[in-house]
Amino acid sequence: MILDTDDEILQDFLVEAGELLEGLNEQLVELEQNPDDRELLNAVFRGFHTVKGGAGFLNLHNLVTVCHRAEDVFNLLRQGQRQVDGVLMDAVLQVLDVVTRMFDEIRAGQEPAPADPALLTVLEGLARPDAGGGGGAAQDAPVAGSAVQATPAAVEDAAAPSVAAPAPTQLPGGDAGQGPEAGGEEITDAEFEALLDAIEAERAEPPTQPKAAELIELTPAGGPAVAPQRPIASAPEAGHGNSTAKAASAARPAALMETSVRVDTKRLDDIMNLVGELVLVRNRLATLRSSMNDEEAGKAIGNLDAVTSDLQAAVMKTRMQPIKKVFGRFPRLVRDLARSIGKEVALELRGEETDLDKNLVEALADPLVHLVRNAVDHGIETPEERERVGKIRAGRVVLAAEQEGDHILLTISDDGKGMDPDVLRRKAVEKGLMDQDAAARMTDQNVLNLIFMAGFSTKTEISDVSGRGVGMDVVKTKISQLNGTVDIDSVKGQGSTLRIKVPLTLAIMPTLMVVLGGQRFALPLANVSEIFDLDLSETHHLDDQEVVMVRNQTLPLYHLSQWLMGSEAVSAERGTQHVVVVLVSGRRVGFVVDRLIGQEEVVIKPLGAYLHGLPGFAGATITGDGGIALILDVPSLLRAYARRH
Amino acid sequence: MTVRVLVVDDSGFFRRRVVAILDADPGIEVVGQAANGREAVVEALKLKPDVITMDIEMPVMDGITAVRHIMARRPVPVLMFSSLTHEGAQATLDALDAGAADFLPKRFEDIAGDREEALRVLRRRVRTLGLRHARGGAVGTPVSARTPRGPVPSRAATAPGTAPATAPAHGVRMPRAPAFRLQDFRIVLIGTSTGGPVALQKVLTALPVNFPLPLLLVQHMPASFTPAFAQRLDGLCAIRVKEAADGDGLEPGLALLAPGGRQTVLESRAGKIRVHIVDGDPDQHYRPCVDVSFQSVAPVFGRQVLAIIMTGMGADGRDGVRLLKDKGAQVWTQDEASCVVFGMPAAVAEAGLSDRVLPVDEIGTLLARGVGHA
Repeated sequence: MILDTDDEILQDFLVEAGELLEGLNEQLVELEQNPDDRELLNAVFRGFHTVKGGAGFLNLHNLVTVCHRAEDVFNLLRQGQRQVDGVLMDAVLQVLDVVTRMFDEIRAGQEPAPADPALLTVLEGLARPDAGGGGGAAQDAPVAGSAVQATPAAVEDAAAPSVAAPAPTQLPGGDAGQGPEAGGEEITDAEFEALLDAIEAERAEPPTQPKAAELIELTPAGGPAVAPQRPIASAPEAGHGNSTAKAASAARPAALMETSVRVDTKRLDDIMNLVGELVLVRNRLATLRSSMNDEEAGKAIGNLDAVTSDLQAAVMKTRMQPIKKVFGRFPRLVRDLARSIGKEVALELRGEETDLDKNLVEALADPLVHLVRNAVDHGIETPEERERVGKIRAGRVVLAAEQEGDHILLTISDDGKGMDPDVLRRKAVEKGLMDQDAAARMTDQNVLNLIFMAGFSTKTEISDVSGRGVGMDVVKTKISQLNGTVDIDSVKGQGSTLRIKVPLTLAIMPTLMVVLGGQRFALPLANVSEIFDLDLSETHHLDDQEVVMVRNQTLPLYHLSQWLMGSEAVSAERGTQHVVVVLVSGRRVGFVVDRLIGQEEVVIKPLGAYLHGLPGFAGATITGDGGIALILDVPSLLRAYARRH
Repeated sequence: MTVRVLVVDDSGFFRRRVVAILDADPGIEVVGQAANGREAVVEALKLKPDVITMDIEMPVMDGITAVRHIMARRPVPVLMFSSLTHEGAQATLDALDAGAADFLPKRFEDIAGDREEALRVLRRRVRTLGLRHARGGAVGTPVSARTPRGPVPSRAATAPGTAPATAPAHGVRMPRAPAFRLQDFRIVLIGTSTGGPVALQKVLTALPVNFPLPLLLVQHMPASFTPAFAQRLDGLCAIRVKEAADGDGLEPGLALLAPGGRQTVLESRAGKIRVHIVDGDPDQHYRPCVDVSFQSVAPVFGRQVLAIIMTGMGADGRDGVRLLKDKGAQVWTQDEASCVVFGMPAAVAEAGLSDRVLPVDEIGTLLARGVGHA
């Protein structure tokens, strides 16, 4: 059967089930840590159950079958008739992979192919109550596919259930009194009853005058006029003095429930574009205001300015997604990777709720995957190695996100072996990237940044884990495309920390406006580190490169108008010039510009097809005075021009 | 009038499908949605729907707990969406116990092979349950006399229990009830559909352990549900209840429940009366079918049959009862007020085939009283 991928119902299913699948990924890894968590087991059960339900609606039989089997397994688990063990986890994670594969097939318009019968057989075995704890299951259920080798971690997993076994037996009794709703949200049965009482009282016949009077009479002393209906309704709840108050507050979440709508991101993009246009008009008006002497108009423009800024912030918020969307995949990724290479790794996620632009969330996914894989594969040592140097067996990788002003800071740190600057220096020389002297002159920090250069890989054998050839330079390029920066800190023997800074949004960018030969250009403010005036007669030439000494550091100097305006007569005017120092890849370089205008928020417009792909430009924008400015892409600019010298 | 529906499911996808299906029916208006049991209870109180469609597995509060809350506060017909699994059967029976009126398989394919037919069935169920409720009909276990909307039409006004043999108001010829003595009979047949699980439970739990007759129960139910249902009844009743198996014999105090998905018939061969489970006519809409089973009993026991038709949608049982009646059997039907859906009993009564029209509680007590007099 060919599926109609344009079908709204099918898309609806894919969206919802896709979210459930993401959730399952997280929940399952969490489950490995807390195998007895009832709420978690219930949630996983419901996840498979709901995907199955939707698949059933769409007659996707193969998807129904595999979800159904997984659901059966979790039904036993949540009833405490079976324990989570390594074999079970492997099988269930395989289910997730199969379901993901089926989703891809559905998206491609194909009827999903059936799951491996061996996996279904394993699940069937797991869906039988196990009498004697985890041991029995391990014997009668061979792992299908056997993709995962027995590693130290796996052995430990298998052993875990026998240790954990006594705990769950106490659980059912403990939970029983609270009922199924106890776990979810903080509202007790009594509070819920009180809430219902309040609703019933409110919804009762519109209170006519005599009725209200009756109610007041029935109310014991104390503010009868304020809440004539509730006290009676909650009378049975005498034990809970403030139950009505709580009920009223509990009513709020219930009322909130249907307040969200699903909106096509295309629409949000359109809105964002329009707001961008508005920002341009606002900028234009703000520029005009300075040349006008109309106080009234000036005020109005001031208001427009404020409202536009608020609108811009509000619209940006609608496009925000928690970084959790990306982080969510890491527990599983780290788990699988660690198991397959025989390492023990604990992953810690921080700041998962940090919001950033949806496009950024998506764009950051690949670089982060690469960096986290790197941390596990190259950073963390094997358990034996760690023990030898006196560390605990399990390595630690921390993935954190936080908002810093208009930027998001992402850090990936590990407590692994770190990097040795001298090894990096030697590599750089071996690969012919620089000579011995140049390498020796570099600071340790600059040496570390060498890893972001193309073709620089310190790992001699290429592992199939962290990619082939595509290395940190690709990550770097990706982050640069997002107007972000990435840098590294590493201490040999103690671990490494990578820091990624990206702007909150991609659509609107703070820039520094400069003039080159009468033409305006916008430099992304993220790249600008300082501005100073320089007497050009103070420059020197080093290795054929014009440089200037700034605080005892040599700073390469480039004349942008030479690159961009084609002017040859650079040396003609010697005198004081403006130099903008930009920071790229941990390198500082100076750009000589003709004139500085100031900071301006610009809306990035893509260059048309005619100019698309021109190196050095990120796009164009309309400036406050109505002119057009090209937005510079500093890394690509340097790549395209700086080497020619 | 339109039936106002509250749709409850934790899956937004499924809610949107159900809403679309129901909204396509001009007689139905979806007035609200809820994503878990707790929201469902709150919305049920706020919106006062005529019918609620309810999922079972939900976060925060499951569907069964929600039904319990709703029935305690504001009884309304609840249509459960169930999985046709053993677990699903248990959960559904729990929900019916809690007061849910009816259930449908969550996989529409299981409702009917043809998708359009399945959607029609869903809409019809919702409409029937809703209209009945809007008119002030009985709801689930706590048979409430409350009438939430408008004046009560007179024919539904009779409170259960006041008159054992209430005469229906719409021109049904009401014969004088013949004398009832258990010893006149050799078997009790009960046929039922929507609302039947709870009604059967009420009747059968009233019977004492020494009930002298065998019973054959035909409840419209999927194959995966009948084993669990039989097991549950067996646990609740003094008499024994089991799902009928091919070759079973009849015993006093043993109720055989016709298994779902097939037809259950009685045959008398060489003086031995045996149950046979057969595939039956593929055109037959109901599996098990009350007509098929009842008709098979007529040649075996003739007039020594007490046939009871209880709550249910449609008219299954009328033809079977007619054949039994021709042989001189006695026929009871459940009254409108205590029926979740007054379809099957109405069909029998309107055909003039019913000897007694009884509230569900009376059926049990009358049968049990017969034991004492036997």
